[in-house]
Amino acid sequence: MKSLYLLLILILTNGVFAQLDRSQRPAAAAAQKINIPASQVFTTANGITVILSENHKIPKVSIEMSLGSTPRLEGEKAGLADFAGSLLMSGTANRSKDQLDREIDFIGANLSAGSSSMYLSCLTKHLDKGLDLMTDVLYNANFPESEVERIRKQNLSGMQSTKADAGEMATNATKAVNFPGHPLGEIMTEATLQNISREDLIQYYKNNFTPQGSYLVVVGDITRAQTEAMVTRYFSAWQGGPVYQSDLGKGQFDKGNRVIFVKKPGAVQSVVYVTFPIDIRSGHKDQLALNVLNGILGGGGFGTRLMQNLREDKAFTYGCYSSLNITENGSWMSAGGNFKNAVTDSAITEILKEFAGIIEAQVTDEELSLTKNNMAGGFARSLERPQTVARFALNTIKQKLAPDYYQNYLQQLEAISKEDVLRVAQQYFTAKNCHIIVVGNEEILPKLLVFDTDGKIEKLDAFGAPIKETKSADITADQLIEAYAMAITGTTSKKALLKKVKTLKTYSRESEMSSEQIPFVLTSTDYFWNGGNEASKMEMPGMVLQKSYFDGKAGYTFSMQGGREDLKAEEIAAKQKAIGFIPELNYKANGMSYEIKGIENINGEECYVLYTNDGLAENYDFYNVQSFMKVRSTNIRKMGEETVETTTSYADYKEVDGFKFAHSFSLTVGKMTLNGVVKRIDVNPKLVLTEDF
Amino acid sequence: MSLIYLTMKKTIFCGLFLLASTSFWAQQKITYEAYDLPNGLHVILHEEHATPIVAVSVLYHVGSKNENPNRTGFAHFFEHLLFEGSANIGRGEYSELVEKNGGTLNANTSQDRTYYYEVLPSNQLELGLWLESERMLHAKVDIKGIETQRSVVKEEKRQRVDNQPYGSFFTEIFKRVFAAHPYNWAPIGRMEHLDAAQEEDYVNFYKTFYVPSNATLSIAGDINIEQTKKWIAQYFGSIPKGQAINLYRDFINLSDEAFASKYKMQKSAFDQKNFMASASPAAKNLITSYLNQPCVIERPLKDKQPITGVIKDTIYDNIQLPALFMGYKMPSQTHPDTYALEFLNEVLSSGSSSRINKEIVEKRQLAQYAFSFNYGLEDAGIGIMAAIAPKEVALDTLLNALDAQIAAIKSELISEEEFQKVRNKFENDIASSNSSIAGIAENLADNHVYYGDANRVNTLLSNYLKVTREDILRVANTYLTQDARVILYYLPKEK
Repeated sequence: MKSLYLLLILILTNGVFAQLDRSQRPAAAAAQKINIPASQVFTTANGITVILSENHKIPKVSIEMSLGSTPRLEGEKAGLADFAGSLLMSGTANRSKDQLDREIDFIGANLSAGSSSMYLSCLTKHLDKGLDLMTDVLYNANFPESEVERIRKQNLSGMQSTKADAGEMATNATKAVNFPGHPLGEIMTEATLQNISREDLIQYYKNNFTPQGSYLVVVGDITRAQTEAMVTRYFSAWQGGPVYQSDLGKGQFDKGNRVIFVKKPGAVQSVVYVTFPIDIRSGHKDQLALNVLNGILGGGGFGTRLMQNLREDKAFTYGCYSSLNITENGSWMSAGGNFKNAVTDSAITEILKEFAGIIEAQVTDEELSLTKNNMAGGFARSLERPQTVARFALNTIKQKLAPDYYQNYLQQLEAISKEDVLRVAQQYFTAKNCHIIVVGNEEILPKLLVFDTDGKIEKLDAFGAPIKETKSADITADQLIEAYAMAITGTTSKKALLKKVKTLKTYSRESEMSSEQIPFVLTSTDYFWNGGNEASKMEMPGMVLQKSYFDGKAGYTFSMQGGREDLKAEEIAAKQKAIGFIPELNYKANGMSYEIKGIENINGEECYVLYTNDGLAENYDFYNVQSFMKVRSTNIRKMGEETVETTTSYADYKEVDGFKFAHSFSLTVGKMTLNGVVKRIDVNPKLVLTEDF
Repeated sequence: MSLIYLTMKKTIFCGLFLLASTSFWAQQKITYEAYDLPNGLHVILHEEHATPIVAVSVLYHVGSKNENPNRTGFAHFFEHLLFEGSANIGRGEYSELVEKNGGTLNANTSQDRTYYYEVLPSNQLELGLWLESERMLHAKVDIKGIETQRSVVKEEKRQRVDNQPYGSFFTEIFKRVFAAHPYNWAPIGRMEHLDAAQEEDYVNFYKTFYVPSNATLSIAGDINIEQTKKWIAQYFGSIPKGQAINLYRDFINLSDEAFASKYKMQKSAFDQKNFMASASPAAKNLITSYLNQPCVIERPLKDKQPITGVIKDTIYDNIQLPALFMGYKMPSQTHPDTYALEFLNEVLSSGSSSRINKEIVEKRQLAQYAFSFNYGLEDAGIGIMAAIAPKEVALDTLLNALDAQIAAIKSELISEEEFQKVRNKFENDIASSNSSIAGIAENLADNHVYYGDANRVNTLLSNYLKVTREDILRVANTYLTQDARVILYYLPKEK
């Protein structure tokens, strides 16, 4: 009625500035019904379900193939499926990887593969060529040995960084605790990765890449008749065994809250996830209401309860979110964020309070409408991508949804009431049977005890496996240092040791360092002089990336990004505490604070742990209990609110002129791992070290 | 909110060639309706119901080339300011209103235009129209907003230009290629100009360029054309025509005294609630006379002056590796040779199998990284070729190698295989670029404003496919003028 009135005025005043109340914000019109073109479905003799979604808007076709098997337990070979998936595009019996890449580029296509799927997208007119390439990979992938090892290395580097990444550790713990004995709870470790052979990968490919139970989702500029012809021509020859189907179970439901702790030495922040499995599979009628519930609790944006409470009100964190994961194989809920050590326990209290609150009482009208609007917008915008339409078509079949489920999505969303939200909260959520996962500093442990119903905090490692308690050491710190120094120098008495150490005046060491993340080899050179000078340099051909120099009293660091910076007083003081060929021997004299922390297991080796603190950084050195050789060193340095953790592993100790040096090492900082191989060590070369080395 | 040319540079650094605003095509014709409102606003409507969303965009035909040389960076700064609010929208509410209603929004500024858009669920179309009409009619900018956005823009410059290795190359090349045209300076402008700006600068910029006759409203998506037209009449049709819009703006912004002294009439003579419907004869007369005064915008002329000779300069920057940047004067983006020029650049440097990559980067290892592209603008274009050298390679060696590639492509037709690969690539890119309604709205607006022909969205691919190998040879010889170009040597600053 109002707009009619306005129109009248517009006409009367000849289109000039009608009485429009601009302070009135326009209200939304009724939600539009979504026009997702109906899909066509047919099956083939060899067991493929083909789903066709015609869309002739642009002359392109995408084909997504997904396998029908449920994931299997992989046990000692956890990670097998992912490993195989990442190797699929590495070459076929007919084409090398380079050839494959070139031919894909020539037709401007996109072809990718995963552990149980493949995806092709290209112009309709190049579809034959695209399918030729796609099916070559599907039928003839040959897992070249060199690529297997390259990807294995890439994965190993990735795992190094996991050990320093609190977020990844928390994710691993979440999976392990919510889904023990379930494929969702299996985590690839260094050991399981090493257990996987090329044969295993080929076997996985042969067993799982079967047409039985698979889906082919065809979207785009192609007709039904063309699709049938295409499927016959390219996919009718595909043969394979039966599909593997198994009920995987719904996860670990507990009585009472369990606190799960993952240690991250030196952390100033904790990662907290309050999580629990939920008994629902994708496609369930309650899924939408649960999504709305999650949106209100903490699923996105600034307006959510978790964000308002923990960030805006309490200022515990930069962000506190919740996530609802509903899959075909198992589902779980999780809420949390990063919190300073001092407020970690208060944050857990508040998160639990928010879970309790949303289970107890109805949400407000405003919360409900804001979340629904947000979801409606995101849903609508996502439909522009043809992949979204394809996914909907596939879900409709796989999850046995009503044929018009997605067509009516917005109306269904609109229909969700406060009562619905409360009902699903009460049915699926809990504030009393949660897994409270904390990755952080051990100093906060005592404050977490109160949350654990049975009063026993469980401890996991970075990959979600239970860890044994640290054993106490049977020797003192000074004894350890002496044993280590004797092992390095090949001496058997303290007197001989001190004498021999003095004979080492200088050394220089050149190493080559490489990384999966860097396409070239770096050269690193260290110089040492017993008078107190030390220097090191890292370069790539023609360019110095990093340099450091210290003469016992002063020095500098240089980096390509930051240029030269002189060492500050506190940095000099710290360096002065760890001087000498075997700095440990001088700890006492130089005022380093150090103590032995017990025995821990490092990659299957029992190691003494020596803790030091030079005033700037904390350091944990690990020495093998039998050989006393140093196998690892973890350095944790505070940078404001964050900590930077650097881990160096040492191996392959070899003697050079009577002194043992590690000849291979790896260095992990954040997500980056560098692997080093020593090329040359000179003991007592003539060396005059100046700051312009 | 960004500068187009900066985004573009970034994309190029990633090794992709961005077709951005110049390419567009669809197998299925993009239909649209276009008309002008009495106040001069050009409207383009594209209706398609595939997805229940709508893109609402307004293109203002003002970019950095329209700036006062002593107030550079103003167009881009204004883009930031115009998110601050309006007479009816509070600070910070623009994004809040859009996001809580399930939409997204952004804007960008180039040498030639400033572009604002929202993508909303289609049942929120009216909200989008209201938001954009508020921006067009009576945006409100207070001191706090100016201060805030000034820091934001400075931060943007630090992040994207100053702290970016080689980040100044665009500015440096434009400065030399366009000696006598306002393309001389970059859209980000000079920060001291922003600091020096006075209130009247803001007021004048808004009054001159932010008027309906200088704007194109382009809407694409799930709309009902008749309903949309009604809303447009309501929200945009009610924006006063000619200079009356600025009379109205003065009425709401000036004090009683200032207004009275400027217009020799008291504010009280006007209808306080509905200015344009003021009943008093004097007020009516004044409004009518301003309705009849057009908004005139002086625009720079097309730049066809060749570069005089070879301009060589050395620039010391915070970089580790030396680099070479070359600039050639190219025709404006509307020139028919543009298509062949884009082919040329694809052959030279797009993808790992391109000539410069294969020969100079991979085989001879004279460059770590190299690229070339054609950057067409309204009044002229620029061709840029660049390479970053390993430390031990002298820049002149690299220059010789690049020149040899230029000489080769000027002397011989490209191979059939190269030709076909590039055609395939354009076809694929252009087809894909048509998949979003936000892209359709922007391309319709751009093609209307620059080419006077929104329908070019339907003919673009045919323009590319008309290009022959002979055309590529010809444009190489016409435009890659070795005796008239800019050559910049980028060297690391002495520490």
